[in-house]
Amino acid sequence: MYLSTIIETVSAWAAQEPKIYALAIGLIGAAIISAVINIGAMAVVWLERKFLGDIQARFGPNRVGSRWGLLQLGADAIKLFTKEDSIPRGADKPVYVWAPIIASITTMLVAAAIPFGALRIDGKDYPLVVANMDISAFYVEAALSIMTIAVFMAGFSSNNKYSMLGAFRGIARMIAYEVPMGVCVIAVALMAHSLNLVEIVESQTLWYAFAQPLGFIIFTIALVTDLGRIPFDQSEAEEEIIAGYTTEYGGIRWGLLYFQEYINMLLGSILLVLLFLGGWNGPSIPVITVLSPMVWFLMKVLIVLIFLIWVRGSLVRFRIDQVTDLGWKWMLPLSLVNLAWAAFVGLYFA
Amino acid sequence: MSAIQSAFPGAVLESRVESDRRLWITVDPKRLVEITQFLRDKKDFDHYSGAAGVDRINENLFEVVEILTSHGAHQVVVLMKVKVPRDKPSVRSLTGLYWNANWYEREIWEMFGINFEGHPELYPLLLPDELVGYWPWRKDFKGYPDTTTGERAIEQVGPDGYTEFKIMPHTELIKAGVLPERPKYPTFREREEAEIKSDSEMIMHMGPQHAIVPGPFLLDLLIEGERVKKAFLDVGYIHKGIEKIMENRTYLQGIVYTDRMCYLASITNNEAYCGAVERLLGITPPERAQYIRVILAELSRIQSHLLGTGEFLTLLGAATYSPFQYMIIDREDIVYLMESITGARITHTFVRFGGVRNDLPDGFADKARPILKRMRERTEEYMDLLHSDPIYTRRMRGIGVLSPGDARRLGVSGPPLRASDTPYDMRREDPILVYPDLDFKVVTRKAGDAEARVEVRLEEILESIHIIEQCLDQIPDGPIQEKLPKKIKPEPGEAYYRVEDPRGEMGIYVVSDGSEKPYRVKVRGPVYAYMQALPPLLEGAYVADVVAIAGSMDACTSEVDR
Amino acid sequence: MGISDVIPVPVAIDEEIEKWTIWGRPVMDVWFTTTEKIHQIIQMGPIKNVLNWGRKNSLWFLMQPMGCCGVEMLVFGCPHYDCDRFGIIPRATPRQADVMIISGYITRKYLPAIKNLWEQMLEPKWCIAVGECAISGGPFYDSYNIIQNTSDFFPIDVYVPGCPPRPEQFIKGFVELQEKIKQRKDKRGY
Repeated sequence: MYLSTIIETVSAWAAQEPKIYALAIGLIGAAIISAVINIGAMAVVWLERKFLGDIQARFGPNRVGSRWGLLQLGADAIKLFTKEDSIPRGADKPVYVWAPIIASITTMLVAAAIPFGALRIDGKDYPLVVANMDISAFYVEAALSIMTIAVFMAGFSSNNKYSMLGAFRGIARMIAYEVPMGVCVIAVALMAHSLNLVEIVESQTLWYAFAQPLGFIIFTIALVTDLGRIPFDQSEAEEEIIAGYTTEYGGIRWGLLYFQEYINMLLGSILLVLLFLGGWNGPSIPVITVLSPMVWFLMKVLIVLIFLIWVRGSLVRFRIDQVTDLGWKWMLPLSLVNLAWAAFVGLYFA
Repeated sequence: MSAIQSAFPGAVLESRVESDRRLWITVDPKRLVEITQFLRDKKDFDHYSGAAGVDRINENLFEVVEILTSHGAHQVVVLMKVKVPRDKPSVRSLTGLYWNANWYEREIWEMFGINFEGHPELYPLLLPDELVGYWPWRKDFKGYPDTTTGERAIEQVGPDGYTEFKIMPHTELIKAGVLPERPKYPTFREREEAEIKSDSEMIMHMGPQHAIVPGPFLLDLLIEGERVKKAFLDVGYIHKGIEKIMENRTYLQGIVYTDRMCYLASITNNEAYCGAVERLLGITPPERAQYIRVILAELSRIQSHLLGTGEFLTLLGAATYSPFQYMIIDREDIVYLMESITGARITHTFVRFGGVRNDLPDGFADKARPILKRMRERTEEYMDLLHSDPIYTRRMRGIGVLSPGDARRLGVSGPPLRASDTPYDMRREDPILVYPDLDFKVVTRKAGDAEARVEVRLEEILESIHIIEQCLDQIPDGPIQEKLPKKIKPEPGEAYYRVEDPRGEMGIYVVSDGSEKPYRVKVRGPVYAYMQALPPLLEGAYVADVVAIAGSMDACTSEVDR
Repeated sequence: MGISDVIPVPVAIDEEIEKWTIWGRPVMDVWFTTTEKIHQIIQMGPIKNVLNWGRKNSLWFLMQPMGCCGVEMLVFGCPHYDCDRFGIIPRATPRQADVMIISGYITRKYLPAIKNLWEQMLEPKWCIAVGECAISGGPFYDSYNIIQNTSDFFPIDVYVPGCPPRPEQFIKGFVELQEKIKQRKDKRGY
């Protein structure tokens, strides 16, 4: 096969010059990944505006860029880029400036370790991942929550009471839900005997959503919390504290923060698919055998995304004390139960 | 009446029994508090409904009219007048007897300059600080010297490059004697900052522009973490002085202003004003007109409740919460129906003295019935939805509880009062139009929390649909307008008329001096009472519940400020 | 005391950067002259059209209901009229809004607050006066508490008449504003 010869040549060269290979592949990977996640997130924003419109019996954007409103995001981006740059009086300037940058760095860190699907060549799946780490599952889950630090920086530095409350809420929520989320990842790793996302996917002959349904539910809820979406968007509750931690942000700084949330949403749903929904596993599709894992993978991700948007359109938000209540009193014990279950079942099958 | 006379010989200077529901008495200012206490304790007048000031400039007197009534024990409304000389006006305060007398007396103080002895916090309520001291509702008020606009408003560039907008105080003009001296009192900001006791507390301003508010008002919360320790409310950001403007318009022109008082209930506001003037004129509208008025009032109630509930839901979820959007869709149907009758979407100016402006359009009943039927199904669906949503019930149950006793004491009316197990509805208490002929039930709930208030509203939509359907069946043919002279000049006198607004008890008190223009119009709005009751309700709540409680009251700022 | 006083964050650059020089001139001077030049070029050329295309199709307005028109403003954002079709969405904070809708009477008490809101909005920004009250005081023109000359305080681009205007008129007002931006005829010259 043509493809396999290329792969062989490249791997031979890689064996000769391992350092240069690593550098080159890292740079190329970073470029590709930043393109992929940004375009992906733009698609997510578009999807959300249209699908939310559908849920609410509206059209959503349909004037700019054909009747599908495809260029709406471009118009928004141009406008945000050309807005005045302002830092409020009394703000903690460096922290204020760095908050959106840290948010973007976070998403890049996460994206580096996540496999974006796979290609099926000669019956073998080659995952598309830049940094194939041994502990990538745990790493990704931990790195996702660095976003909360950006939230806290943004809220704390703005010199605004709403932002401050938003930041505190963000931290309280993160602490309450990071633990059960981590325990769920451990449970998955127990079953898969690995913390590597690729290996976790490969070991899922039965989706872990069915093998440990409790863990799946807890992880989904914790994920929605981590992404800060309704019903867990207390840190930017629009009707209570104006716009939460982004109250004082405008223009492109706000644009960055806003966009990172959508990138995170994309990455989060990919993580959910990888951990619980069998990743790119699925039967081969005849004509496009090479792409068939990609098709399955994207389909699953799309379904998760639509689910997240649907939730946003149909639920009201929790109060912050109820959120932490739920996190500590229900999610954590239940996730431990799930861990025990995973250990038992894992031992039984292994 | 005779009971008062026998209990306080010599205290009652004048009295008039208008009907079995209205009693006008003029009492000695010195014995006002005693008589009120007697009425409250012995005669069940437990509802302080409002107070109005009247400037009788020809007699060199101020009148303060206290409106007292009862929560269901009987249906008598006592309008108790006190006359005080104009040069040093002072009346004993009733705040010791009725908690909710507070705002009404503050308003009379800032507008007329009538001092209330024993009032705990005689600060301006609606007026901006710079207008206090001019007493704008007095008859000899010549208009405010317009020094706000133009050169007094300046934009200052500070040393750090930020532009600040300021309206300079007119201290120099006061020194020069052009403007009168202003009374001394601590400003709103100073009052609330005096309450900060420790470092962990801070004041969070919600407003005047804030996503929770249906119109601008300032809700300041003294919070510690997420807990509200004390709430301060400042209204008057859209105070337009409607009552004063109406004194300078003819009776007919006045209807336009009642629309803009509460734009969600303009029909009922029209109704209250026209009803009061009809009492002055001594006419009753023909039966068909009465039915049309009832139909419109109930339609207006439906759309107001839908918008109120919808807006409340956006406070819980974001504006992306879909049921809110569905409610607006349903509301548009109702608005179309109203538009087909009146020609306007929200400000109708439809009710006339002794009738209505025009008849129902042809085929209205056929058009209305399917819409009402669909509305009923949809409303039941909403009730189901909200009832079965676990997050919603967790958020709303037991939040902002008003016990029946508290609700009565705070003087709220309408859905919040009925949610606190008090069947107090003007359509029953003070029946007008054809309401006595119609079959409807007064919706009540036991709980008194935010959830119950929303439930009451949704169920009232069902009742309103029921009323409209009866009206469509029963409506007779006939004229829709009484014959009236072109220039409306009622005999000198006064009338008080109450209707059930979508938000509660709406009363309008009109004084006529025999000319083309009303001498004084006083509006007793329901939201005024809600807003007054809001700060005590919010104490001890979470910040997130503040929006829930404020939203469940369904406030309409425009009516508070007038 | 802020976080940056405790933890060294790698941007204490502000004072540092002012000392830097390039071609014998302070960096800041060079930087700002070039940005000014770039701006001049943009003002003339077709790039401006692209920028204005973006701006006109993404007019986010400040949620600030003030009177009867506030109700219609709410309906304007909801399904029947759906402002999202035009890329117009409501924002709760002035920092993220481009258009201020003055939707009612401005009183003496409210004027400072609303002016502050206007100052907090970031450039480029536009202002629409909706309803008779915002245009001239409307039915309350002779009230002691209403300010009539709104245009003295705000550079109003579009006046939407009506008492209150229908939601369709809101859309019309926004379309007019878009047209003005496209033709570079708005008051503040974007």
